Amino acid sequence: MSGAIATPPLPLSARLAKSWATLKRNHIGFVICALGPVLLLFGLIRLYPIAETFRLSFYDYHITRRSSPFVGLGNYAYLFEDSPFHDALINTICFAAFAVVGTLLLALAAAVLLRSIEKAAPVLEMLFYIPVVTPWVPASVIWKWIFDPTYGALNYALSFFGIPRLGWLQDPVLILFALVVVSIWKMVGYFIVIFGVGLRAIPEELLEAADLDGATAWQKLRGIVLPLLRPIILFSVVTCTIININVFAPVYVLTASSQGAPAYDFKVLVGEIYSNGFVYYHMGYAGAQCVVLLLFVMSLLFVQFLAFREK
Amino acid sequence: MKRRTVLAGGAGLALAGLAGQRPARAADPMSGRLSIWLGYGETAPAYQQALPAFKQMYPNIQVEILSFDLHEYEAKLSVAVPTGNGPDILTLHDYVFPHYYDNDSLDDVPADLAKVVNDPKIIDPVFRDVCSREGKPWGVPWWKGSRALFYNLDHFKEAGLSGPPKTMAELWDYAEKLTRKNADGSISRAGITLRLTEGSGGLQKFDDMYYVMTGHQILEAGPKPGQVRITLKDKGNIDAAVQLLLDYVAHLHGPKKVDDWALKHDTQGFANGVASMLMREDWAVAFIRKNGPDIHFGTAPVPRAKAWGNFNLVEILSVSKISKMKKPAWDLIRLLQEQKYLDTVLQESGWVPLRMDRDFSAFLGKNPEYKAFLEPIPGYQAYLEPPNIAYVEATTRTGDVILAAYRDASLLNNPAGAKAVISKAYDTAANILKRSGIFAP
Repeated sequence: MSGAIATPPLPLSARLAKSWATLKRNHIGFVICALGPVLLLFGLIRLYPIAETFRLSFYDYHITRRSSPFVGLGNYAYLFEDSPFHDALINTICFAAFAVVGTLLLALAAAVLLRSIEKAAPVLEMLFYIPVVTPWVPASVIWKWIFDPTYGALNYALSFFGIPRLGWLQDPVLILFALVVVSIWKMVGYFIVIFGVGLRAIPEELLEAADLDGATAWQKLRGIVLPLLRPIILFSVVTCTIININVFAPVYVLTASSQGAPAYDFKVLVGEIYSNGFVYYHMGYAGAQCVVLLLFVMSLLFVQFLAFREK
Repeated sequence: MKRRTVLAGGAGLALAGLAGQRPARAADPMSGRLSIWLGYGETAPAYQQALPAFKQMYPNIQVEILSFDLHEYEAKLSVAVPTGNGPDILTLHDYVFPHYYDNDSLDDVPADLAKVVNDPKIIDPVFRDVCSREGKPWGVPWWKGSRALFYNLDHFKEAGLSGPPKTMAELWDYAEKLTRKNADGSISRAGITLRLTEGSGGLQKFDDMYYVMTGHQILEAGPKPGQVRITLKDKGNIDAAVQLLLDYVAHLHGPKKVDDWALKHDTQGFANGVASMLMREDWAVAFIRKNGPDIHFGTAPVPRAKAWGNFNLVEILSVSKISKMKKPAWDLIRLLQEQKYLDTVLQESGWVPLRMDRDFSAFLGKNPEYKAFLEPIPGYQAYLEPPNIAYVEATTRTGDVILAAYRDASLLNNPAGAKAVISKAYDTAANILKRSGIFAP
């Protein structure tokens, strides 16, 4: 005898719409549904390997041995006495510092110049971009020939100026600059495009107003262009730093040789990790080096974010 | 309805696909895929040549041969074998062999092949020992690479030298005579192209001369299997090592200079005619012929001093313990012992097959450059790297110390400085061996 009136069931489309509305109201549920699969994949592909590397760094995990004893901080302690690791750290810092500064200064200068020749800019940007899409290995092989001490194009060109033959890839000092040149050649086109986008976003009126006020080109660059480019510069510095700290392929190809006449063994951090993991099979120790590299890069990025933060 | 049909069809196809995979996965040793990975791809033609005969024995087995760069190969193998994804036939270089033996990854060698390996008339015991434990072989040593002296006949004639150097003293003396310099004093042609880069290879070449000066290798097998002892500080050896380092430095800096970093080096340098002498393995013959067709050269044994002998490397054919193709794999290894396939190894790669019961005289008649590698020389001792799990790391890091010293001109006529370098090299090697638990005092 209840007075309740039975409501007719809603059609499927209406029920779905209602569920969707409820889900949207319940913000957390919506976020989980929308981002859950992506986060799950991110966790599996990105975070899990990092966590596993971190775990392995506490073990004497040798890839071809069955037992992997726990060694606590032993692998980290060994980092302090491992002189090849110290060499690699110093080399990587020097290489990255020269490569980042060189790449970004050159890219910024080129982007500013290209802005003054708007018609030719797209074609020139494309030309500068060609090395970016060239794979590292063939690019490095070409540079290896350029740097060849006996038959290389660079020594041949320098000979016209009376400069004696130099072992660009054989000398411990020259090889640093040779690698920096290759890195700049490879990446400068990418950052020219990035800076170009940033420059085009600067309102023309600001620059015209500065012209009316009699500002010089340098004053416009310092007072208008660079401050407005700050977010683009931050992005570029961060990206370029990560790329160059993780350098491996060009060093590997430029310094290796199947004929047993390789170049100077220029040690870099990722190369050391590769050697310890896959040549000497000390996976646990390589894991400790990975963790240190991760912390090192994150610290650098933190400093960069602080330095470029909006005031 | 249509959607259901599609789903049902898809499920049916998937099931059919799974069912179709089953026979291939079944444990039938006479069908499936037999996988071989090579770190020395130049030997692949011998495997390819043996395939028709193998196919007659096993028509349903597909043989997959993959070649990699040597270091890549070693890295891939080290990851794949422990996880059960490696090849069926393991082509193991002597210094990586211990990793797979220690990890129990190798199948027992069949009795007939073990008998061949253990027969000193067929396989030199030096090569048998490197893959044997407690008298039992765990693979079949197949080919070797051995070091010899390459010398440019035209350069020797031009310098008035009638034949290759026979002693270490002559080697340095000839190198000085053969060196050509520009007006500014820079070297245009190296008297001998020395190994000045890459730690492991650099130490090996230093070790070539150290051996003949001392009768010992820098790293030698210790009293227990897998252990290694360092001979650098043994009585008499340290003086020889110091002298050798001083000789190197004297010939890289100053008036006796015979080589320079800014020259094309090693086999490439020799093949290009910018070096008169080179110490290298057999494979370099084919390389020089191909890349320096105008170069007239000969080969000779490594010069002697207190001792006389040469470094050898060996490739061992083993079968993975978890392979489902053990019998076919061993049968293929049996086939590869036949004369025609060994001829192909020699012709295509230059590596010398180890079977002493096979005849390579016809090949030698046509290829006299192989004389130093193929003809047995009384009193000339073949030696190998001591098999151990830390070999690559120990030689690379120790070599880095020695190679850095080559660049140090302050070591010219500086025995105390050279002695400090040798001590540092000893400590570097000792630390690595201790860390791996294989150091023998």
